[in-house]
Amino acid sequence: MLRLVSTASRPASSGRLSRVVCSNCVSTGRRTFASSSALRADITLTVDGKEVTVPQGSALIQACEAAGSPVPRFCYHDRLAIAGNCRMCLVEVERSPKPVASCAMPAMPGAKVFTNTPLVHEAREGVMEFLLANHPLDCPICDQGGECDLQDQSMRYGSDRSRFHEITGKRAVEDKDLGPLVKTSMNRCIQCTRCVRFANEVAGVEELGTTGRGNDLQIGMYVEKTMDSELSGNIVDLCPVGALTSKPYAFHARPWELKNTESIDVLDAVGSNIRVDSRGVQVMRIQPRTNDDVNEEWISDKTRYAYDGLKFQRLTTPLVKQGDRFVSASWHDAFTAIVSGLASSGAKGDEIQAIAGHLADTESLVALKDFTNRLGSDNTALDQAGGYAPPVAGVDVRSNYLFNSTIPGVEQADVILLVGTNPRHEAAVLNSRIRKSWLHTGLEVGLIGERADTTYGYDYLGQDAKALADFVAGKGEFAKKFQAAKKPLIIVGSAISEHADGPAVYNALAKFVEKNKSRLVTPEWNGFSVLQRVASRAAAYEIGFVPTKKAAAVKPKFIYLLNADEVDPKSIPKDAFVVYQGHHGDLGASLADVCLPAAAYTEKSTTWVNTEGRTQLGRAAVPPPGASREDWKIVRALSEVVGSPLPYDDVVTLRDRMWEISPTLVRYDTTEPTSVDVALTGLKTLAAHTAGAKVTGVPFKKPVANFYQTDPISRASVTMAQTTRAFVNGERYGFSESEKSSQAAFA
Amino acid sequence: MSLIRASTQAFRQTIDLRTAVRALSSEVKAPVESRTETAEVAIPTKDVLTAEVLSGAPTELRHRPVRIYQPARNTMQSGGAKMERWRIDFDILQGGGRWENPLMGWASSADYMQGTRVSFKSKEDAIHFAEKQGWDYYVQPPPTKKIPPKNYAENYVYKPNKLRIARTK
Ligand code: SF4
Ligand code: FES
Repeated sequence: MLRLVSTASRPASSGRLSRVVCSNCVSTGRRTFASSSALRADITLTVDGKEVTVPQGSALIQACEAAGSPVPRFCYHDRLAIAGNCRMCLVEVERSPKPVASCAMPAMPGAKVFTNTPLVHEAREGVMEFLLANHPLDCPICDQGGECDLQDQSMRYGSDRSRFHEITGKRAVEDKDLGPLVKTSMNRCIQCTRCVRFANEVAGVEELGTTGRGNDLQIGMYVEKTMDSELSGNIVDLCPVGALTSKPYAFHARPWELKNTESIDVLDAVGSNIRVDSRGVQVMRIQPRTNDDVNEEWISDKTRYAYDGLKFQRLTTPLVKQGDRFVSASWHDAFTAIVSGLASSGAKGDEIQAIAGHLADTESLVALKDFTNRLGSDNTALDQAGGYAPPVAGVDVRSNYLFNSTIPGVEQADVILLVGTNPRHEAAVLNSRIRKSWLHTGLEVGLIGERADTTYGYDYLGQDAKALADFVAGKGEFAKKFQAAKKPLIIVGSAISEHADGPAVYNALAKFVEKNKSRLVTPEWNGFSVLQRVASRAAAYEIGFVPTKKAAAVKPKFIYLLNADEVDPKSIPKDAFVVYQGHHGDLGASLADVCLPAAAYTEKSTTWVNTEGRTQLGRAAVPPPGASREDWKIVRALSEVVGSPLPYDDVVTLRDRMWEISPTLVRYDTTEPTSVDVALTGLKTLAAHTAGAKVTGVPFKKPVANFYQTDPISRASVTMAQTTRAFVNGERYGFSESEKSSQAAFA
Repeated sequence: MSLIRASTQAFRQTIDLRTAVRALSSEVKAPVESRTETAEVAIPTKDVLTAEVLSGAPTELRHRPVRIYQPARNTMQSGGAKMERWRIDFDILQGGGRWENPLMGWASSADYMQGTRVSFKSKEDAIHFAEKQGWDYYVQPPPTKKIPPKNYAENYVYKPNKLRIARTK
């Protein structure tokens, strides 16, 4: 409202003042808007007396937006197809007899559009009246209250009374059961079909749809079925009313009570941008944050709903093992116990091992590596199968372990080969991009590895390294398509480096990419991408948190687990002294002699590097519980007690140290492409280093068996346990146990 | 004593600059909000005097970095009005940020800045303000928006080969 008034009353002269204001607020959006499609011709039209230039083929609503005249809407969404069925976006166009729906109308050159005339106001009021005719008046008990488009727009554009007084009352619609995440209240549905379009286009759930027409139109799954998709939580955001709301968050908080903190997700390696909404000391919910370079506007259900795991199983005080019990101790006692454990274990040099887990942040990785090196050890291992040895792909060249094509770049590829990966579960948001491209372009996908339901069709090439050898040799239909592609892309899963055939696969691929470098590695395009699946891995490779060959051979006597919860208990020698630092009492803590409580990702402002090598800065939303502390501070404090203090006292100096290691670690929100020469050198070394690797022919396996529980946070989460039951184990759960209910329930 | 005098002089200089600017802005017939907008035109001078020299603000504040950013749009709603402002707020305090009060179960805090959030019309204003206060700041760049042109007709475009989507709308 404010904005509209100020736009109207702004002087038309281009005085210095107005220019300053414009360049600050409005034009940022406009400039990028136009530059995003330089290839198309631009057209110019007038919106509310302002000239605006948009690319040809834009919808009128986009032109209005670019001109700074917001248009109310329910069904139009920037990232979905246009439906044009709510009619809220009516505007007046000169020489048009009726108001036109601006989302379904292409912008025409020279058109004169008005968004703020009596005709438009009346049209909006009329539409509002229709929409509200069947909308229940239950805002006080509706979870959408306070962030409801319908609520806000009826206040702004609606009338204060209605002419509809149906004797039969308002329309009543049966609620649907979409599973443990999405709560439905279908009386409130205004049939904008955003949820249907999202499910069809983005999530790949083609069962969600509409039945009936007009007043009887209903949204549902046709048969009684839950919505099994790893992106289903997004329909809660999309729904402009309270028809779809979040089940775990139901009646927990109101939006105006929440403190919003913009942060980064760590439950996969995509580094989705999130907004953590907290109240007091609790995280109440997690919402996506729009970033077209990473997650667009979507996040996966694990990212969105695993937050309740932050409340359970937390380590809140330092624990020291006495006999077979943990006794809580002060920080001082815990550190003393570690120092004496280090001494009594007799660990020297490489016998001191540090293992970095999935959720370790970059600051603590750097601190721990420096600390381990100061103790004379190079034994910095990773918490994965084969993580105790130097990684196959090496860490000297970034392009050997990063997603070089970048996440938005996936949409430019015309043929994609997936090797040993199921992106749907390893990087759900990235998978939706592949689907988008598969739907809208002629993208062809091939898969080597375990079969998976990917939400797009693919050519299945085989399940092991032999299939890859055939592909490299150019056998088969898909290999021919790949040869003909202009921008081919190979996505190598992170599980390949953990596999027995890893060296052979990397060898074959490195040679293949080198041979086809004219298409695969060019200044504009790097089609060799490694898809990491855990948040800390890219950062660990970046700083060289990997063991040397010599160190890897040594049997450790002192082990420092940093958030390492996937370790194989058998790999830890019986007599070793084990320290666990982390936030959850999961597997790692149970193996430890001393547990140090640390902060979870919503509780610390730390750096995260995603699979593309994009460095992003998270932000603390709530304080860590009990005596827990930020991770790097714990390592720093311990180094002091051990007697070789690390040279950084605050996070600024620590980040200076990170800059020394790799400047990319402090260049936020960008990806830096590796130059062609360096990338090729990296591949050459990789090929040389893995030369002569034997192929065992063991089939590749999907690394993520249960998408909903992959880390200590999601394993502690009740919601994720319910989703596992409903979607992974296929158990019936929830309120619609229809086979047990009596006949009358169906009536 | 001399220090304070020097700083008052610096202060007066800035004030002079502002009045000059205001005169300029009245030429172009500024609308009602001119007062806030004139502040924007004031080009931040390089050598700013940090406020704490005079204000007596606790020195601990200097060790707390602030973040300058444009708040993201709430994905629950389609309106974007709040996205245009630049906001300054503080990182939470690790120790005394908030705790659950044992008496009532509400959240208590020892952090007097936890409720402070200041909005500005432009990034430069926010940076200037942070510099004046002597705060360390981190400017979070706003993500670029890439929305391709959209068209209703795309729903009906003919695609060769196998049909890849069955629309259920
Ligand atoms: S459930 Fe919500 S998103 Fe889906 S059609 Fe109804 S109002 Fe639209
Ligand atoms: S937004 Fe245009 S018809 Fe719904």
